[in-house]
Amino acid sequence: MSAAEKSGDLYNVKKLRRLIELMKEHDLSEIDLKEADHHVRIKRGGEVIATTAAPVALPASRQSAAEPARQSAADAGMLVIKSPMVGTFYKASGPDSAPFVKVGDRIGPEKTVCIVEAMKVFNEIPAGVSGQVVAILVENGAPVEFGQPLIKVDPGA
Amino acid sequence: MFKRILIANRGEIALRVIRACRELDVETVAIFSEADRGAPYLELADEAICVGPARAADSYLRIDRVISAAEIGNVQAIHPGYGFLSENSHFAEVCRSCDIGFIGPTPEAMERVGDKNSARALAREAGVPTVPGSDGLVSSEQEAVRVAKEVGYPVLLKATAGGGGKGMRVAANELALANAWQQASAEAQAAFGNAGIYIERYVERPRHVEIQILGDQHGTIVHLWERDCSTQRRHQKLIEESPSPRLPQETRKKMCEAAVRLAKAAGYYSAGTVEFIVDQQDNFYFIEVNARIQVEHPVSEMVTGIDLVKAQIRVAAGEKLDLVQKDIVPRGHAIECRINAEDPAHNFRPCPGRIERIIAPGGFGVRFDSHDSLVGKLIVHQPTRQEAIRTMIRALKELRVEGIKTTVPLHLEVLANTAFHEAQVDTTFVERMLAR
Repeated sequence: MSAAEKSGDLYNVKKLRRLIELMKEHDLSEIDLKEADHHVRIKRGGEVIATTAAPVALPASRQSAAEPARQSAADAGMLVIKSPMVGTFYKASGPDSAPFVKVGDRIGPEKTVCIVEAMKVFNEIPAGVSGQVVAILVENGAPVEFGQPLIKVDPGA
Repeated sequence: MFKRILIANRGEIALRVIRACRELDVETVAIFSEADRGAPYLELADEAICVGPARAADSYLRIDRVISAAEIGNVQAIHPGYGFLSENSHFAEVCRSCDIGFIGPTPEAMERVGDKNSARALAREAGVPTVPGSDGLVSSEQEAVRVAKEVGYPVLLKATAGGGGKGMRVAANELALANAWQQASAEAQAAFGNAGIYIERYVERPRHVEIQILGDQHGTIVHLWERDCSTQRRHQKLIEESPSPRLPQETRKKMCEAAVRLAKAAGYYSAGTVEFIVDQQDNFYFIEVNARIQVEHPVSEMVTGIDLVKAQIRVAAGEKLDLVQKDIVPRGHAIECRINAEDPAHNFRPCPGRIERIIAPGGFGVRFDSHDSLVGKLIVHQPTRQEAIRTMIRALKELRVEGIKTTVPLHLEVLANTAFHEAQVDTTFVERMLAR
């Protein structure tokens, strides 16, 4: 999430998109919005002009359109460890073993947090981030897809 | 029959397979990359699994990820669609070793027809004509002269067995051959470190005619007649039609029989296409086999009334084809236009972007299968070619695509062209038309 998105609602991509839809609905060719020291001007038929220290580009394709939705899965300030592959999620190395991590554990980037099994290969997934485990988002043995949030981590705790 | 299958593809063909499955009462698992997250067709699948980031090489082309998705999706088979992994024999083999059905030919058959040289050899064994040629590298000018005399002028000299274009030269007679030989072998030496050259008969202004075949695992294999794909621009097919106009009935029958012989020799089942070129004297030569369902398959579906994708799924599940060759009678004339996001006013440069609005044409005899890399495939079916052309023009004018430029103006230009109406079309037609 960019600094601009955090600082001002105006720079929320979803809201920009909604603004553009409203403009189309009402056939407006230009809108000009100011909030504190931020300023957005959108002209239809041309490029989006965002006059600010941190300009925001409009998502041009569906690729980026999905971003805000997925980011909302993470609460403000929280980090999410996502599955790097399609497979089956395991929170421990075996049925009788202790889980790799529990809620409340402090972890570093190297720490193995779970296993994702794909094609009979057990892939140990490193945290990649530091902080405190806030939630484990997937049931043991559940199928997971690429990019699916697995574990929520509070980096500030 | 399968209870649940995975579709290892995206867009139009994924939707086509989902529709076939719904009619067959087969559940579907769609896979998608992050670029396709939220695409409407995914909602029509029973389950959708993200397999990787936007780049196809990291998602749709990753065998391990596709197989993992098949495992967590609990499917019995995979439909590969076209492109991506559809003609990857290794993928078909991995499916087999993971006990997942592959909705296509066996990896062995795919390999037999996949390599151009082995496919040519197989064709000759099966008595299927191939473009006369040197069958290997020619290494001296004297040998070149001898081979050229054998295969007949004009000849094409080329540095690789496949296409490519590097070191390609056409020689109209023995005098020209000496020159062409010097140049082509020098280029081949520079590009490939080998001055050897393949020589074959140069087929001038050929037509591209392909035969749709369909076979089951019990030895039945039939053809669904031909598609003429001569209307192309820089090897990109623009218009496909069936039947092929101006093809003598005798030639048509011979080509279809040859395609079936070749498929039998390869131990091929499922749907597939045998491609031929046809010269000005109606001689035909085998080019290659496409071991997959093709983009233009609806053309054959319209004239034969056979749902190829459903048939493909049925035969993969081991069912017998309930078709007899003599009952497959083409009815009427079908034409397909492939509508691409390109700008005809600027030398057909790709024109990607967000489609703001699309109004699909409809009405009697009109089918619109929406794409996304292509904008869509527009298919019409009418009793005669003239009526099909009229309907296609009507439908193209009805189609509205806002936000991007498309090839629709080019399609309209072709359809209005007298040479097209008179079926005086070969693979060089569109470029000649545009040059005028």
